[in-house]
Amino acid sequence: MNYLDNAATSYPKQDECLRRALERYLELGASPGRGGYDRAVQAEALVSAIRCDIARFFGAGDDARVCFAANATDALNILIQGMVRPGDHVVSSRLEHNSVLRPLNHLRRQGLISLDLLPFDAGGFVDPAQVAACLEPQTRMVVMTHASNVLGTIQPVSQVGAICREHGIPLVVDVAQSAGCVPVDMRAWGIQAIAFTGHKSLLGPTGIGGLVIRPGLDPVPTRFGGTGIDSADPFHPLAYPQRLEAGTVNLLGILCLGECLQYLRKQNDTVLAREMRLLEKLRDGLRASNRIRLYAADHLADHLPLLTCTVQGIASTDVGDILDGDFGIAVRTGLHCAPLVHEALGTLHGGAVRFSLGPFTTEEQIDAAIAAMSAIAGR
Amino acid sequence: MPPAESSPDNASKPVLRTLCQRTIVFDNEGFFKDFADWTEEICAVLSEESHLQLEARHWRVIWFLRDFYAGHGRAPLNNQLKKGTGMSLLEIESLFPGGIKNGARRLAGLPNPSTCT
Repeated sequence: MNYLDNAATSYPKQDECLRRALERYLELGASPGRGGYDRAVQAEALVSAIRCDIARFFGAGDDARVCFAANATDALNILIQGMVRPGDHVVSSRLEHNSVLRPLNHLRRQGLISLDLLPFDAGGFVDPAQVAACLEPQTRMVVMTHASNVLGTIQPVSQVGAICREHGIPLVVDVAQSAGCVPVDMRAWGIQAIAFTGHKSLLGPTGIGGLVIRPGLDPVPTRFGGTGIDSADPFHPLAYPQRLEAGTVNLLGILCLGECLQYLRKQNDTVLAREMRLLEKLRDGLRASNRIRLYAADHLADHLPLLTCTVQGIASTDVGDILDGDFGIAVRTGLHCAPLVHEALGTLHGGAVRFSLGPFTTEEQIDAAIAAMSAIAGR
Repeated sequence: MPPAESSPDNASKPVLRTLCQRTIVFDNEGFFKDFADWTEEICAVLSEESHLQLEARHWRVIWFLRDFYAGHGRAPLNNQLKKGTGMSLLEIESLFPGGIKNGARRLAGLPNPSTCT
């Protein structure tokens, strides 16, 4: 299979990392943070070390808190619901994935918050000046994506971070799509918290993600239960990381993430540069057909290695089916869980076709994709 | 306490049509709500509405889709559709106005896929 759906989940995975993690998991076989026997203590020590690795990976500083969740959506729910109070105002953008939009929409529908969703320009970018213009005394936080999962555009979060810092408002960034692909520097960019997932460009398995939170932001727990500490207390502890973790953590997922971070740290900028060269080739190849329309692809600076398009006269779902059935190419079609992006593009009804590259994508795969799209558009 | 959330019905509103002396329920995109409501006669009427004259190749696709769905409770995978009809998906897309999903699948009476594919 020619897999060009890395923005959904990366594939192939880093075999060695996952195998090493599984071996360690099978050896340990204990619940981290639960019990005083050596293996349980060892497991907890490993998890703690990986928390530190994650904080370091995202430039969060040694005092940052890392709380695990099932994925970025789960992490964003924990954070958003733990942050807002009745009467709060939240600023976000129309580029967001439903992982941000739906929690916020539910809170708005409950009458708890007011919400401003900033538009994006023709290039696919939010204007930081518009963030500043939206801020109110009641603004509780700005929550936005680092990179659009539909357009691939990397947002000017450091500029937004500077504005937020100036106004004393926390900036929460969804790095689901960017983490592991492009650097994230929380402290330098003025980001108070990020939500990440392990299975995209961090190359890990599904089912593991989390929050990195810098001191000063303290979401209240919204899920309660066993934590392995303060068990006599009838209420959920407020100490980190247990504050935002209820129940046993996903040890296998965490071990995989730890291995993948070590692998990624050894990589250099050439991986992304290579992916972007291939993306440029794909873009230029698709441009050759006047029936293919590309979105936010004129300039590939500040861009992830993904490309979204439509084919005139053919439903996007059909384009995806043909690519799969006739050419063995896997892409994502539809709305990509980001309906407001498609509303702005005019593709809300039929969706679009997204090609997303990964570190293991080859030039031959891109050539095959161009040839297939040429055949489809030329029918 | 926050006010209880309203629960709007997001499901598509059914559309009732009388075709071939029968009342058939469709969704708002023209897909049959009930697989069992489909008949060749109704399929032919719907095809004419799309200015499509059904020929042997169309029926091959339609019957493959129906038989597969009846036997498996789901639509065929892309490769199964290709192998089962002996046609490329590009050919099938070209055969039906509306393409594979909105053309072939709809005319075959398969339900509207709810996944955001």
